[in-house]
Amino acid sequence: MTCNKYKNPLLLAAACNGKLDAEIARHVKRCSTCRMTLRSERELFLRIDSSLRARVNEDPRPGFLAELRLRVSQKSAARPGLDRVWHVAGAAWALVLLAMFYPLITARQSSFHKNLQTPTIEVPRSSGIAQSGHAHEALGVQFRHHFKRPAIHGAVSRQPEVLVPPDEQKAFTQFVACVARHDAIAQAVVTPAADNSVNRNTELPQVHSVDIADLQLHRGRQEEWISQTGGSE
Amino acid sequence: MQEFTWPGRTAETELAFDLEKAALRREFEQRLEECGTLAFRVARGVLRNVADAEDVAQEAILRSYRRFARLRDPSRFRAWLVRIAFRLALDHERSARRREHRETAWANGQPKATAEDIASSNEFGRRLQLAMAALSEKSRLVLVLTSIDGHSLEEVAELLQLPVGTVKSRLHSARKQLAGKLR
Repeated sequence: MTCNKYKNPLLLAAACNGKLDAEIARHVKRCSTCRMTLRSERELFLRIDSSLRARVNEDPRPGFLAELRLRVSQKSAARPGLDRVWHVAGAAWALVLLAMFYPLITARQSSFHKNLQTPTIEVPRSSGIAQSGHAHEALGVQFRHHFKRPAIHGAVSRQPEVLVPPDEQKAFTQFVACVARHDAIAQAVVTPAADNSVNRNTELPQVHSVDIADLQLHRGRQEEWISQTGGSE
Repeated sequence: MQEFTWPGRTAETELAFDLEKAALRREFEQRLEECGTLAFRVARGVLRNVADAEDVAQEAILRSYRRFARLRDPSRFRAWLVRIAFRLALDHERSARRREHRETAWANGQPKATAEDIASSNEFGRRLQLAMAALSEKSRLVLVLTSIDGHSLEEVAELLQLPVGTVKSRLHSARKQLAGKLR
């Protein structure tokens, strides 16, 4: 317990290699363990210092400084102007390369952006519809795929867009082809009914406001009506 | 071969430029004797190998020469060189350690060194090197500089532009850490 009290001051004294406090010195005289600790700690620090000093104060080999001087003179003999010439030449060469490849890069970029846009084929509606497999294109209808193609802002088409799920695309293409062939059924589906006489279920019967008013019964007239009918009901 | 001249630069300006350069070179060479050894010692404090320390010192000197003209305060040259050498040595040590890791990973299957080999090698020096590598850069630099002969605490403080008290406390904590690792 007493030794623990002196442990830290002992280590500190060993590290600083200084004189011991009177109290610690008295304890060290009495306690052999602390004496041993102090001695071993001092030895350790001495060893650290001596090996560090031995290593750091080692001299370089004799030819080292002469070699250094030679390297420095070689360095100074090299004309700095020529270094700069190389820098300027490099910069000029980079500019030339940039000028050569700039049109190529921009062309590739623009074609890349074009490929990203949803392709549309402009076909005048008045012209006869082609008998091709791409009838939907001929009709001016464009598919928008649900995936794969990123949406491009600004690529707004004026043609109507039809969102077709991938599993229904085949059927839709067939349908569009039928419309293109002026198929009767397909035309009937697509063309709005021209005959206005067709009674539609959606139409509401027209009711005049007067009829509604007649349905309202005033108290006086109600009594009169009851007396007329005999109030048998 | 015809001398290269920049457009718009006369022969007089070229001559003045050359003279200035020669003066700088002379000034640098005057410092080389003392500073070359200093750079070597700083590098040696960090690196295990003498040849590596020489390479690093040479590189530090050449770098400082390249930028010598740009140095605003020539009296700070030593401090500047010390920092360059120290940093280069640290970089070198790190790359050497990486290389060593690779090589030991490769040589894991090789037979290990015998007890005799270990005893014959400088075990304490190796452990000291490892313990130093674990120190912070600041503590390490102070430890190396104070270990160089003729460097008092005041001189080290002046080199590092630090108060003497800070140098003392860094040195003390560095030695304590080293002892803790070597105990």
